Amino acid sequence: MSLVNYQTREITSKIVYYGPGRSGKTTNLHTIYSQVPDDRKGKMVSLATQTDRTLFFDFLPLDLGSISGFTTRFQLYTVPGQVYYHATRKLVLQGADGVVFVADSQARQLQENIESFQDLHQNLSEQGVEPRGIPLVLQYNKQDLPPDLILTTKELSDAINFRGVPEFPADALHGPGVFETLRGISELVLKRLSAGASR
Amino acid sequence: MIKASVEPWIEAPLQQFVDDAGVVLALLLHPSGQVMGQYGFTRAMDVMSACALAAAIHLSSSELGMQLEGKPFTGLHHAGKDRQVFIAETETRRGPYILLTVFDGESSLGLVRMFFDEFRVNLANAAPVPVPAPHPMLNENFERELNRNLAVLFGRA
Repeated sequence: MSLVNYQTREITSKIVYYGPGRSGKTTNLHTIYSQVPDDRKGKMVSLATQTDRTLFFDFLPLDLGSISGFTTRFQLYTVPGQVYYHATRKLVLQGADGVVFVADSQARQLQENIESFQDLHQNLSEQGVEPRGIPLVLQYNKQDLPPDLILTTKELSDAINFRGVPEFPADALHGPGVFETLRGISELVLKRLSAGASR
Repeated sequence: MIKASVEPWIEAPLQQFVDDAGVVLALLLHPSGQVMGQYGFTRAMDVMSACALAAAIHLSSSELGMQLEGKPFTGLHHAGKDRQVFIAETETRRGPYILLTVFDGESSLGLVRMFFDEFRVNLANAAPVPVPAPHPMLNENFERELNRNLAVLFGRA
């Protein structure tokens, strides 16, 4: 649910990074946080376990500046990827305007990716959101790993991207692909908002 | 005075609550974590963080209530050394909202709860019938502005 304040001409949208455990969702936010100037971001909030796995969510507010005269802000969330945090994922997904699905490119993680993607669709449906209607981009993370350990972008695309949504190879730990992914989802969210199709 | 509200009908009830209860901070938010109105914050980023955390606290305490008593907890109070936090849900014809408020020794839990009850009534009465919100008309080439802003943000400009 993007909020538009016409008095102050502000747009605020919620973007959720979704995906299986250890796929790199929190790393995406850390990389964004490390690259953005202090005056354009808020504190990064991480509700994590002692072993640094996301317990509830990570949260990063981001000021994108003025777009068409609207001060535009994005609230970036991650969900915990581990299967047993299903209830928490549903809560964080509530009211999302766009979703970045972060897939782990490692070949042995393919099944986890597929199950997490199905979990995303199920959770959206349960919240009355048409999964095919919500802005969604895919990120194939960990493409920096040795080629014998990972699947190619095409192989991952064939396995997961049956919707044909924008997809981005990435190495979130070092930065490549993180910016492009955020730009991709930003465009989709704002296009949908502008077209009046937002919930 | 109220510094910001997303929809004008929120301002009067929230302002009255702040004045009557004598609270330091007040934040009305949607359960998804989006701010609807606020008083007392100085940075928009702080508002967004507080909203995200308040929504999380509210949702998790609701779930906890469901598991313990079969019905959601709808309010929460935490007493700190100098300041206290009160979070509670209120219902309107526009849907449910969550109020997060912080108060110090100038007020008390009893006062906050009493005026929160009034606030719930005032907010419910002020809430207009939901109508489809107009969508912002972004320029045809807004992608260019978006790309430029993101490039600046990431030091790529």
